[in-house]
Amino acid sequence: MIDYLDKVLDEAGRAEIEKHLVTCEACLDELNETQKVLKGISKEEMEKPDESLRINFYHMLHSQIKKEEAKFELPINQPAAPWYSLRQYRVAAGFALLITGTLIGLLMHGSIKNSYAANELKQLHTEISDLKKASMFTMLQEESSSDRIQAVRYAEDLVNPDQNIIDALVKTLNTDKNVNVRMAAAYALSRFTSQRMVCDSLVKSLSIQTDPILQVTLINILAEKKEKNALRPIQEIIANKSTLKEVRAVAENSLRVLI
Amino acid sequence: MAEAQDEEIMQRVKDGNLEEISILFERYQLKLYNFFLKLTRNRVVSQDLTQNLFYRMIRYKNTYKSELSVKSWMYQMARNLHIDYCKEEKRTGELFLRTDSYPVDVSEEIDGFPEDDYERLEQAFSLLSLEQKEIIIMSRYQGLKYEEISQIINQSVPAIKVAMHRAIEQLRGIYFKQI
Repeated sequence: MIDYLDKVLDEAGRAEIEKHLVTCEACLDELNETQKVLKGISKEEMEKPDESLRINFYHMLHSQIKKEEAKFELPINQPAAPWYSLRQYRVAAGFALLITGTLIGLLMHGSIKNSYAANELKQLHTEISDLKKASMFTMLQEESSSDRIQAVRYAEDLVNPDQNIIDALVKTLNTDKNVNVRMAAAYALSRFTSQRMVCDSLVKSLSIQTDPILQVTLINILAEKKEKNALRPIQEIIANKSTLKEVRAVAENSLRVLI
Repeated sequence: MAEAQDEEIMQRVKDGNLEEISILFERYQLKLYNFFLKLTRNRVVSQDLTQNLFYRMIRYKNTYKSELSVKSWMYQMARNLHIDYCKEEKRTGELFLRTDSYPVDVSEEIDGFPEDDYERLEQAFSLLSLEQKEIIIMSRYQGLKYEEISQIINQSVPAIKVAMHRAIEQLRGIYFKQI
């Protein structure tokens, strides 16, 4: 029936169906309903993604190219070096153009007022920061732990991270399979302990972490912040028989600050 | 001037000309973004997944085999990325404060399909199984031919036709029961 409605059925098939439809009302209803459904799902226009998708892609491409070139050693059978360095130059130039093109173009314009150029600069800063932000979410899913640590570092550089970033860091702290990545997340979050929500998340995390390194890290962060809510999980860690004695020592030490 | 084939481009990328992947990006980013968007109905996530897809194409360029079309390879990876995302959401969704998703709202009316009806259709669509959604999206929205879909999900063309018909039937059933 779909083929009939799509007008891809052959002559014979079409004739057969049309003959049947004359007599069978149930089938006619079914045909109309199917037609309506097909119309609804045949919406042609595609939605355009935000411009940051393109910006992030080129940023990512650029860092991947840099990575390749860093480990690239000239093998004997590779074409002459000048061709290679030309490509590198081309890519670097292209990227630089992408980022600064707007600004340069505007500054060349005689009639542009200073404030306008300043706004463009501000927009550029925002774009770069957005760029870092979006790279971060993607990279937190990557296979390689060094990629994920890099992602966490992006977050550390931000002055005022939004809720999405904080959530992503907390999630990484609690669920990443690599202890170094979790550590990096803990340190990143420690920069934002002025936010109540961050402190609460760190406290919650302390009660679920089992890795001694993480336990010690979090205890120290919370003790430094004099976070009284951390008292209970710390006491639980002390009471827990399977806690390592080094961890217990740090925990007991922290009580002096918190009580 | 004839456009370079996807496969030629990908081969050059494999040979070390990474920047050529930008051609594939410009060619397919819109389609792939919308592929994710129809499945997740979330713009931020869709953007993220699209970004990750191209990252993987670069990172794992050496796993691309020229017997497979680039299109099929990309859609295979896209499906896998989406499934991974669903698994991840299931695992950690309950534990943490969910940030707002950005629901896709329908503002225009499609010929003969008023806004309310369209929303109901979207709802009915969301009740289909993942496999059914994928087939409808790939065939009707992405415009992929059955032969191409066959390469992507590794099923025979007749099997796909049957699955497609069943999916439409299912959709029709759910939608018209709601009214």
